[in-house]
Amino acid sequence: MTKSVLRRVIAIVLCVAAVVLIVLGAVNMPKRESEDGLQILKTLRTRTLLNATGEGVVESYVAVAKKEAQAAAKAAGGGMSAIREAIAKAEEETRAKYSSNATDYSAIDTTNLEAAMDEYMVALKASADCEAAAKQAYIDAHYDEAYEAAKADREAKIAAGQDVPEEMKVTVDMSGFVATEEMTSLEAKAKEAYGLVGEALKGIYPVMDDNALNTLEGTIADIVYQAGDNYTLQYDRYIKAGSGDALENKTGGFLVRYADDLFYVAGALIVAALTLLFYEVLVAKLGIPRVIIGLFFILLCFMSLLYDLSLSTLLSNSVVRMGMNSIMVLAMVPGIQCGISLNLGLPIGLVAGLIGGLLTIELEIGGWLGFVFAILVGCLIAAVCGWLYAQLLNRLKGEEMSVTTYVGFSIVSLMCIAWLVLPFNSLKLRWPLGTGLRNTIGLDNSNFRHILDDLWSFKIGDFVVPTGLLLFMLLCCFVVWLFSRSKTGVAMQAVGNNPRFAEATGINVNKMRIIGTVLSTVLGAVGILVYSQSYGFMQLYTAPRQMGFIAASAILIGGASTSRCKISHVLIGTFLFQGVLTLGMPVANVLVPGSTISETLRILISNGIILYALTKSGGGSRG
Amino acid sequence: MSAEFVLEMKNITKQYGENTVLSDVSLSVRPGEIHALLGENGAGKSTLMNVLFGMPVIHTTGGFQGQVLLDGQEVHVSSPHDAMTKGIGMVHQEFMLLPGFTVTENIKLNREITHRNFFSRLMGKNLETLNMNKMSSDARKALDSVGMSIDEYTRVEGMPVGYMQFVEIAREIDKTGVKLLVFDEPTAVLTESEATQLIKVMKAIAESGIAIIFITHRLDEVAAAADSITILRDGKLAATRNAKETTIVELAELMIGRKGEAMVHTDPREVPHDEVALRVRDLHVDMAGEEVNGVSFDVYKGEILGIGGLAGQGKLGIPNGIMSLYESSGDVELFGEKLKLNNAGDALRAGIAMVSEDRKGVGLLLDQSIEDNIVFNAMQIKGEYLYKFGPMTLKNSKAIRAQAEKMIKELDIRCFGPTQHSGTLSGGNQQKVCIARALVMGPRFLFVSEPTRGIDIGAKKLVLETLVKLNREQGMTIVMVSSELQELRSISDRIAIVSEGKLVDILSPDASDADFGLAMSGIKPSEHHEKGDGAQ
Repeated sequence: MTKSVLRRVIAIVLCVAAVVLIVLGAVNMPKRESEDGLQILKTLRTRTLLNATGEGVVESYVAVAKKEAQAAAKAAGGGMSAIREAIAKAEEETRAKYSSNATDYSAIDTTNLEAAMDEYMVALKASADCEAAAKQAYIDAHYDEAYEAAKADREAKIAAGQDVPEEMKVTVDMSGFVATEEMTSLEAKAKEAYGLVGEALKGIYPVMDDNALNTLEGTIADIVYQAGDNYTLQYDRYIKAGSGDALENKTGGFLVRYADDLFYVAGALIVAALTLLFYEVLVAKLGIPRVIIGLFFILLCFMSLLYDLSLSTLLSNSVVRMGMNSIMVLAMVPGIQCGISLNLGLPIGLVAGLIGGLLTIELEIGGWLGFVFAILVGCLIAAVCGWLYAQLLNRLKGEEMSVTTYVGFSIVSLMCIAWLVLPFNSLKLRWPLGTGLRNTIGLDNSNFRHILDDLWSFKIGDFVVPTGLLLFMLLCCFVVWLFSRSKTGVAMQAVGNNPRFAEATGINVNKMRIIGTVLSTVLGAVGILVYSQSYGFMQLYTAPRQMGFIAASAILIGGASTSRCKISHVLIGTFLFQGVLTLGMPVANVLVPGSTISETLRILISNGIILYALTKSGGGSRG
Repeated sequence: MSAEFVLEMKNITKQYGENTVLSDVSLSVRPGEIHALLGENGAGKSTLMNVLFGMPVIHTTGGFQGQVLLDGQEVHVSSPHDAMTKGIGMVHQEFMLLPGFTVTENIKLNREITHRNFFSRLMGKNLETLNMNKMSSDARKALDSVGMSIDEYTRVEGMPVGYMQFVEIAREIDKTGVKLLVFDEPTAVLTESEATQLIKVMKAIAESGIAIIFITHRLDEVAAAADSITILRDGKLAATRNAKETTIVELAELMIGRKGEAMVHTDPREVPHDEVALRVRDLHVDMAGEEVNGVSFDVYKGEILGIGGLAGQGKLGIPNGIMSLYESSGDVELFGEKLKLNNAGDALRAGIAMVSEDRKGVGLLLDQSIEDNIVFNAMQIKGEYLYKFGPMTLKNSKAIRAQAEKMIKELDIRCFGPTQHSGTLSGGNQQKVCIARALVMGPRFLFVSEPTRGIDIGAKKLVLETLVKLNREQGMTIVMVSSELQELRSISDRIAIVSEGKLVDILSPDASDADFGLAMSGIKPSEHHEKGDGAQ
């Protein structure tokens, strides 16, 4: 059997499996709303409740038995040890009697209990909703206060040289929260409903007394209702409590519970089948690495659905991260086009951009003006440094890969000293004690924090569209695209493509390489500013060191080679790279909880791709 | 050692895929004779030698048919090293010497004379001590036998080129049991007096009983040195001659021969020599392997001038030098205006276009589309196919597409469309793209360098016809450089032959094969005839 036939057969099998799963899902999904499905849930709930209360009841029996045994022993006139023995014996016997599986649940009439529980659930839900709303209102009212406090705390920590997490956590202190009247009345109603449940329980377990009921209230409330409850959550909760055997006679509970996951798996199977069917076309069009990473990304999407992570939030984050990284990736384009291959000396541009950003804070130029000022200053410095850098590259033709890497590392190290001695005075920038700039400089609304992200941004569900950021990204791409179509751009590409050809046409090869390098460096400066405004912090010292590599690997994922690239490679590559990282971390955390696997994954992916690209850089430029 | 021939190669046939490069070639060398192996480039000389030395390139491409006999015994040479142990040595065209080592060390390289010492007893043979005295006396003997007085302790670095050649020969002689030495174009880098010396040495070596195969294209040297001569042409045995029974003219004729029919027929015509299109005086070009040392000629308006000659003789240097692809000096005038050299843009701006012999290296942007390739020069040099967009000058895709489609139709470029990458085209179609780019420039003067190299016959014909059409219909002056004499003869009005960086003669396409053969080996036919006539 040839490979293509085998692929087709597997694809068909997968498709059939997918159809089966879809049908199963389609049959079972509506059951969640139907009487059948709800009945499954109710059965489980009742069983869980009976199990939980049953333990309380056993304790009651034990208590009664112990008391009787003690009284009997005393009456018999035995010593202390005899009394203790009698008590222990009674306890053991009672426990053995009641905790055994002898309790026949099916014999118990639970109609009353179920009705009471339904009522109790409604009441609990109303009460919880009301409480949540009230609390949210309180948080909204006090958020700014808490934010300022958290920020002050964070800055104090940074000033003290402690490590701080990337994301700033704002916690509103709830100690001042007072329950509203509505809340209290609803709570009272819930209590009332609980009373009914208690009555029903007493009907089932005669020994159950009010004392036991009081102890059990929390447990029962948790069984009946929890915040954000839905079918799957309740089902999982009851199964976890060990009530699965209640479903002996009710088939299909599992399928109803996993109906949505059936759809996801079916989707994944269809994607796999399509990939197999069009494998050759895909590989020819995109190349194996892109197919693999694309599939990995899709796999992560399905896994985040399976693990009930919010896919739209994750995708939204991916889009933001794509936007903030894209300009730095775009900076690779002129470099590749003019023949210096991957511009791993990008940190030159990044440092220039950072200086521009620092100046706006130092001079206290806020808002849009500050952002534009930072970009202009950054570009200016980047252009000058880029020109010098290009002179170096022109004198060391053929060794670009090592020169760019070396320059990238050395500029970062050089700037580590410079950050310490540059005469900035603003207290936002300097360490409070001693000299030098801080490691991480927080941007706030008086600077250009989120200035592009928040521009015209809107929400679709959980998906936040950072319109301004995306528009700026597209604008930059458009400008670079236009340039690549200009006379100079065409000549520059010829230099990168075949320097001898260009020379034969009388093109000044060195000049074109300078133009490309300067352009790349300038884009790097713009890129780091866009990145910082979205991230909310400017990172100095060793932070820019890895960014050149990240940008390089992103464009390589996108399909560029070290000698050929297009704008589409930038967009695809950045999205895939950042998408895999953003989705990969939460999924990895679910898979291997409490590990640092996500960080390992990030390093593996970004460095692995660079390695892969370098093995390809020698030849085979046409994918 | 009693066999009549030290080496016999019988009915050797070698194919590279579909391509037969040697067909039924036989070669016999007697002990102690100098046997010249003659032939144009591509006649099969090097392939024959590769077979003899058992080069990997032969084994990896399916071996060869035929027999190789050494001293009458059939042998199978598996590798160059095997050839060495069997007594076959090679004096390379490019020297294989280590510059930082002394002459002795080079001669004895990998065959050092050693004696054992404490460490070598302990650690093995690699640590044995060199017996420098013995080695240098051996080297001295070998050097003396090639007539070199140079000290055996001199370093190779910085020695004159001619000396290196002799050191190389001394190394081969020093090998014990050498029966056969192959000299591959040994005189190419030597001065005249050194060449004379070399021939003397070769004769001395031959007298000592070692047979020599002498590969060269210099007919006069063959006449001076060789005892017998084998001539290859197009992978076939053209003739075997005894040196005493032949003349240079006959050898030249045999070497060139008539190769089939002309692909393109043109009517002979007279081109008026009244207007000079290109005047070249004392042109020197520093192009590695194709140096030009002082060439002067005129190209008349409206003619097709062919430039021929063997590979490595400098014919390619002429167009490349004038187009400033390589460092050059001299006086060049185009239609009476002085042309600045060493500035590629200037030559293009002056209205010269060139179709380069190095299609993939200089001729094309392989990663870019056909249309971008076609209009590239016109866009960069003449500023055509552009439009203004704000501060930017952008390429005009519509005009480019139209021009590309026109050219694709006119030149019959076989492709999926104008956006196909030129790197994915066949050789012939790539060549057509190069020609299209030259034509889009609207040149007054066209250099075409090896236009038919590596392309199939159909494409060859079309390329040549296109050149004739351009010349006849648009009156374009064309200089075509080619190694294929037949091609030059079929479309040129005059043919200049270049040898060793100098112009030997300009011949009519109707001149005899012998004349071309003589000219290619650096002998001006008219002078030779005079001499010959005078002698008779």
